[in-house]
Amino acid sequence: MASPASDEMSLAELASESTVLFDEDGRVRYWNPAAERLFGWPALSVEGVQVTRLAASSRQEASAWAALLQEGFWRGVLKRRSRDGHVVEVQARRLVRFEDSGELRDVVEFAAPTSGHRPTSIDPIDAPDQMMAASWEIDVAPCESILADIEGERAGDPDGRHAALYQEIVEKALIVRVNKRTARLVGGNRTREIMAGQRVAAFWPLASRSALGELIVEALRSEAGRSVFRGLPTDGILRDPVVTAWRADSERPTHVFISVEGVADDDRSYLYLKASEARYRKLIHYMPVALLQVDASHMGKIYAGLRAQGVVDFDGYLQEHPELIDLAGRSVPVTDVNRRAVELLGGQGPHDLIRPVGHLFAISPATLRRVMVGRFSGRTSHSEFMKVRALDGRVLDVRFSVTYPEPLTELDTTIFSLEDMTDRVRMEAQLRQLQADYSHAARVSMLGELTSSIAHEVNQPLAAIMTNAETSLRWLARDVPDVTKVTQLTARIAASARRADEIVQRIRGMASKRAPETVSLTLNEIVQQSLLFVKHEIETRSIRVATSCARNLPRVMGDRVQLQQVVVNLLINAAQAMEGVDEAERLLTIETMADAEGSSVLTLRDRGPGIPAEHLSRIFDGFFTTKDEGMGIGLAICRSIVAAHGGTISAANVSAGGAEFRVELPAAEVAPRWT
Amino acid sequence: MWPLPQIPTVAIIDDDEAVREALGDLLHVSGLICRCFATAGAFLAALRTTHFDCIVTDVRMEGMSGIELLERLQKDRCDLPIIVLSSILDQQVRARALGLGAHCWLSKPVGDKRLLDALSAAMGSGSVAAGEGHSS
Repeated sequence: MASPASDEMSLAELASESTVLFDEDGRVRYWNPAAERLFGWPALSVEGVQVTRLAASSRQEASAWAALLQEGFWRGVLKRRSRDGHVVEVQARRLVRFEDSGELRDVVEFAAPTSGHRPTSIDPIDAPDQMMAASWEIDVAPCESILADIEGERAGDPDGRHAALYQEIVEKALIVRVNKRTARLVGGNRTREIMAGQRVAAFWPLASRSALGELIVEALRSEAGRSVFRGLPTDGILRDPVVTAWRADSERPTHVFISVEGVADDDRSYLYLKASEARYRKLIHYMPVALLQVDASHMGKIYAGLRAQGVVDFDGYLQEHPELIDLAGRSVPVTDVNRRAVELLGGQGPHDLIRPVGHLFAISPATLRRVMVGRFSGRTSHSEFMKVRALDGRVLDVRFSVTYPEPLTELDTTIFSLEDMTDRVRMEAQLRQLQADYSHAARVSMLGELTSSIAHEVNQPLAAIMTNAETSLRWLARDVPDVTKVTQLTARIAASARRADEIVQRIRGMASKRAPETVSLTLNEIVQQSLLFVKHEIETRSIRVATSCARNLPRVMGDRVQLQQVVVNLLINAAQAMEGVDEAERLLTIETMADAEGSSVLTLRDRGPGIPAEHLSRIFDGFFTTKDEGMGIGLAICRSIVAAHGGTISAANVSAGGAEFRVELPAAEVAPRWT
Repeated sequence: MWPLPQIPTVAIIDDDEAVREALGDLLHVSGLICRCFATAGAFLAALRTTHFDCIVTDVRMEGMSGIELLERLQKDRCDLPIIVLSSILDQQVRARALGLGAHCWLSKPVGDKRLLDALSAAMGSGSVAAGEGHSS
């Protein structure tokens, strides 16, 4: 209701005298709770109604109004129609108020019953909330076909079908508006503005939906101006409530007014209740997590229907019926949101978010499917990371969680929560970049140690190519060119060129700066590929290599180059560790196996002097080195690479002499951090 | 073309098959006889029964390296001219090879003319300083 001075209004709310404000044309602008009690009309049913239409005699009222406008004041007895069809006689005073400019501002009417008439009374010292009935204006237009069905079977209700139809009316009927008391009693965290447009059933207790539906039908059958009422059992909200329903005027033929009277069914005092409710509302409202309440009750029915048809694999069903996902996105409304949700999703206010849920999943449609599958399979909640596009177009990384309604509870509400992870995701991306840069630097430095091996390796095929080409020219220069010989040499040139290319590719893979790429691989492959890098290094040092690769090693998910880097690094260290050892004793033992948990394990053992005990705990630390030219990042990078793959790396000395490094990587289900 | 009446026999020692075969073919088309060995050990075994006029050897090899071969031949007082053909760039190793009496040191990849000239010089006179090795 438009309120020129809300302070005045709230004072009038508390008055026990009927207080009504009219505009210049005699239309009701304000109607206090005492007026509701005296005349039986809830405020929302009379707002904007002409004063003469409320009068028992419109002619008498018209002359009284004319006198008022002339005098600026009027006092007398009024006869006004009450909601129950009777006439209430009141002693009234009316006063015209003017603006400073001299224009008419409004008309105030105070009224008290003439002696002999007492309104259905509640103790006047009661707080106003209890004086006020909980009133609703609802629209039954969406129930047209159900109403037709009921009318068609008016003669009788042989199979008890009506109870279900009555309930369906409440489920389809929409709220036009409600008064404050209704919002306080059943609105929960939602304001009256948010309740408007939602389904009545979203707020009406389950147990008495059928009774309300029946009352609505009865009211629609009654003539205009007549109201119907019935008492309802105590429902946990109001004690012994009485519900009254009547049709709205002919301008709104599908609208019905409902008024519920009763005392709040709670032993606690009104103030206590209000305070605890305010606390609760505040808690939800100021929760640092974005919360959205959605009403997916109709989907619940669809799921029940599908289950009855024998659908078990709902995921599979949705793959074949994507239209059901579209339907959910279009038809499941958000019914309430908190402050953080508005902040996160960038709306002007809650209203921007009170709309079907589809937009939340616009860029993560698979999430919606999983949310639906979760509910279908009876889970209590579901959570995952997803991207959501805010109303202003920003794309956010959020942890999305849904809490499904407990079966058979009164209010079928589902709660979505969205936790903003954008900053965290961005920070993780930066850390990954840093780690990638760092490991790239370490790879380049590692390749530096292999320079002479690489030069030797590349020069071999180049030497073969050059010599073969020159030999070919010599064969061709002969008086009778030997085509057979030249063909053979050319084939060898091609083979050597391919070999050179493979070597260059391998080095380039190791040297290039690129984003990690997760593939399925086995540790055995990594060991074989890594040995290629250090083949010459090992051969020229006359190191024997004993490799024992387990068959059927579980696959791991990982970045090939980074894992090669780890193994090459360990191989170089091992080769260098054996520099001072007699050639005959130089042995490098490489073993792969699967452990009991299904992890892949690589052990690499050398016959060097081992690791000094005081260094054992520090060798994986950054910048720890015992080499003159080392940077000390090799093993630190190894550890960070292995950790990013969800694995562990450790070092120990073996009793027979030498060091042993052990790398353990989890089986493929566990993806590395960057996926 | 060749000052000596009989056709000279050259031993090629390289653990890389492609390089070995290429060198063998080049010497073959140039009218030389050659035998290829994958290891220094195999060559030493053959040396007991076969006459060679010159050796072309790699340095980095599995088992006995080119340097070790030079040491061994020096110890055995074998005066066969030896050409070292290697892709390693280490000056110390090069100096060591020349110190052990290598005729010259050639870097891989090597041009055909340079290799044949070195062979010619090495076999023409064991004492004449020829080839790039001694000139640098």
